[in-house]
Amino acid sequence: MINSSSSKQVGQDQQATSEPRSPRPKIKMVKSEESDKRILNKKLKDVEISIPIVYGNVSFWLGKKASEYQSHKWTVYVRGATNEDIGVVIKRVVFQLHSSFKNPTRVVESPPFELSEAGWGEFEIAITLYFHIDLCDKPLTLYHHLKLYPEDESGPMSSKKPVVAECFDEIAFPEPSEGFLVRVQNHPAVNVPRLPTGFTLPPPELFVVPFEDANRKKRGDTKDHPLSQWFMNFSEADELLQLAAARQQVQAYLAKLRRQISMIDGQHQQLKTISDS
Amino acid sequence: MDAKDILGLPKNSITQEKKSRPQKDSQRKPDGISREVYALTGGFPPLIPAIEASQLKKRPPSDEKITWQWLPFTNSARKDNLHLYHWVRIVNGVPPTGDYSFAKYNKMWTKEETDQLFELCQSFDLRFIVIADRFPSSRTVEELKDRYYSVARAMLAARAPSPGDISGHPLVKEPYNVSQETERKRALSMVLSQTKQQERKDAEVLAEAKRITESRMVARGAEESELPVPSNAGPESAERAAIPSDTVSPSANVQHPSAAVAPSTITVDNASILASLRMLRVYLRTYALDQMVQAASSSAGLRTIKRVEQTLQELGVNLKPRVPTKAVCAEHLELRREILTLLNLQKQLQYKEAEGSSYRDGSYGDTPGTPKHLSHGGDQDRIFVPDMNFAGERIGKRDQKRKAPGRLSEAPLPAHKRPRKLKAADL
Repeated sequence: MINSSSSKQVGQDQQATSEPRSPRPKIKMVKSEESDKRILNKKLKDVEISIPIVYGNVSFWLGKKASEYQSHKWTVYVRGATNEDIGVVIKRVVFQLHSSFKNPTRVVESPPFELSEAGWGEFEIAITLYFHIDLCDKPLTLYHHLKLYPEDESGPMSSKKPVVAECFDEIAFPEPSEGFLVRVQNHPAVNVPRLPTGFTLPPPELFVVPFEDANRKKRGDTKDHPLSQWFMNFSEADELLQLAAARQQVQAYLAKLRRQISMIDGQHQQLKTISDS
Repeated sequence: MDAKDILGLPKNSITQEKKSRPQKDSQRKPDGISREVYALTGGFPPLIPAIEASQLKKRPPSDEKITWQWLPFTNSARKDNLHLYHWVRIVNGVPPTGDYSFAKYNKMWTKEETDQLFELCQSFDLRFIVIADRFPSSRTVEELKDRYYSVARAMLAARAPSPGDISGHPLVKEPYNVSQETERKRALSMVLSQTKQQERKDAEVLAEAKRITESRMVARGAEESELPVPSNAGPESAERAAIPSDTVSPSANVQHPSAAVAPSTITVDNASILASLRMLRVYLRTYALDQMVQAASSSAGLRTIKRVEQTLQELGVNLKPRVPTKAVCAEHLELRREILTLLNLQKQLQYKEAEGSSYRDGSYGDTPGTPKHLSHGGDQDRIFVPDMNFAGERIGKRDQKRKAPGRLSEAPLPAHKRPRKLKAADL
C-alpha cells in the first residue's frame, strides 16, 4: 500500500499556498460518455493489485447444550488478513454448505462476510467470491474443510475455547482498471504496488463510487469482531526468515559441492596425464 | 510316330481316327468368333441367332473417305487471339464447320440478357436475390452482380471526363470479386450447416491454435526480452483464415519462424505461466505458486520431486507456505530451484567419483592417502539432518547401491517423532 500519489498531492498544495484556493466549480467539465467509459475500463498492465485474505472457521462445542445433531456452533468466514474492510473489493460471498442443510446456498451481501450455523459434521464448504463489476466480472472460489474437532483427540473438549482453522491467501488482479485503482489506491485492505514512473492516475472525481459503499451502515472491517480474539496471526516476516535461512544453507552446500567437483576434475586430469605419459 | 514304334502299336488304326476328326472340327468351327468363345456358349449354334456375326466387326462405311489433318483453330470464348492446333477429322475432303465445340460452355451475356438484367435491377432496386429469382435464364446471384457491376463500371468509365475522376468511386475502388464472393458464401453456408460436434471440434482447434501462438509469441518475447501484446489479433485472424479455407491450419497465421527453443526451458515455462496468469482476470496466489512449482519440476522425475520435498522438510520449510504472499512465494520457488540444482550436482559428483574409482582401480589400484570418497558417500537419503550441522563429514561404505545409510548420530527422524503442532502450520 504505497501512498506515493497522495504525498505528491501534498507537495503540490504546499507550493500553491500563495494563492487562495478557488472553490471547486460546481459544474464539472462535461466529457463525452465514451471517453468516460474508456477511462473507467482502461486496463493497466504491469500493475498487479493484491488483497491478502484469511478464510476459515471458528467452532464452539456446545457442551451441556449439545444435542446429537447439533453438537457444535460454528462460523465460517472470509476476512481481510489485517482485518481491514474487504468490502471495497468483494461485493458478495456465497457459501455452499452440505446438502443436508436447509437452503445450502447462503448468500452474504455485505461485509463482514461470515455465516454461522450449528451442526455435528465436518465437510467441505465452497466459498465463492463475487467482486465489484468494475474490478472483475468473474467470481473466484475457495474451498475450506470445516473443522469442528480438535487435533488432539484425547484432550477434553472445552465449550469455552473454540477450534480454529484458518488459511491465508492472496487474491491477485493482474490488470485492474484505472477506475478501480483510483478507488482503492489508499485503502488499507488492498496492496497496490508502486506505479511505474511518470504514471499518474486521473483524479477521483471522474469516477462514480458504487452506491453500496457510500451508504453502507454496518462496518465492514473485522478489527473488533466478536471472534477476533481467536483469529490467527499470519506473519510474512517469520516465513521469509525461515526461507532465507534455508536458502543460505542450500547455497553453502552448493558451493561445497562445486568445489568438490572441480577438485575431482583436477584429479582426473592429473591421472590422465600420468597414464598418458 | 516313334512312340508307336516304341509301344508296338499298329499304325493304321490311329491314323484313321485322325483323319475323321479334322473333318468334324472344320465343320464345327464358327464364323466370326473364336472356337474357345464358341465353346463357352455350349459349342453348338444357338437355336435363334442372337447377334448377326456380320454385325460384330463393322467396318466404316466404304462410301466415305476419312482422313485426319493437323489444323489451327480459335475459340470464340477467349478474349485473346490464341491460335492452337489440333487433329481434325476430314470427311471426303470437307472439314467440319462451326465454332470450337467447347466454346459453348463459356457463360455468354447477350445484349438482350443484359437489358433484362438492368430492367429488373431498376424495378427491384438492386435487390439481387429477387432479381435472381425472376431472371428468365438461370444465373446465380453472383453472376448477376458481377455483370451488373462490371457494366456499371464500364459505363462510369466511359462517361467520366478523366479516369482520375472516378478513381474514388466505390465501383472502381472496390470492384466486385466473383470468385471471392462465391467462396465466402460457400464457406458461410458450411459454417451454418455444421453439426454441434463439428462446431465443438472447430472451437477446440481454434483454442489450441491460440494457445500455441501465445506460447510461441511469449517464447519469442522472452528471447527478445520484450513482452508481446496479448493476441486479440490472434483468434480473429485465425477465424478469418478458417472460413475461406476448408481445413483449419493453426500454424497458418504464425508467420514468424518459430525461434529456436530458448536456452533454458525453465525461463520459457515460467514466462508462459506468467503470461497465462495475466490472461486470468483474477487468481489466487497459491494457485500461481502451484503452477510455477509444477513448471519448475516438469523436467524432473517423480523421484526427484519427492527428494526435493524431503529436503524441504529437512530444512524445516513448509511444503506449502503458511503465509503465501508474493514475496514468500517467490522465495519458496527460488529455494525449490536451488534444491533441484543441488540434487543434480550431487548426482554429478557421484558419477564423477565412480569414474574416478574405476579409473584408479584400473590403472594404479588403491594408493594410500587417497581419499576414497569426498562427500556423504552412501548416504543417499538425507542431505540436511535436522538440528544438525551438515558440515560434519560422513565416513561409510562407498556402495552406491545400498539404500540404508550409515548414520553417524542418533539424530531423531524428522516429522515422525516431533510432536504434531497445530494443523495450520502445515498449510
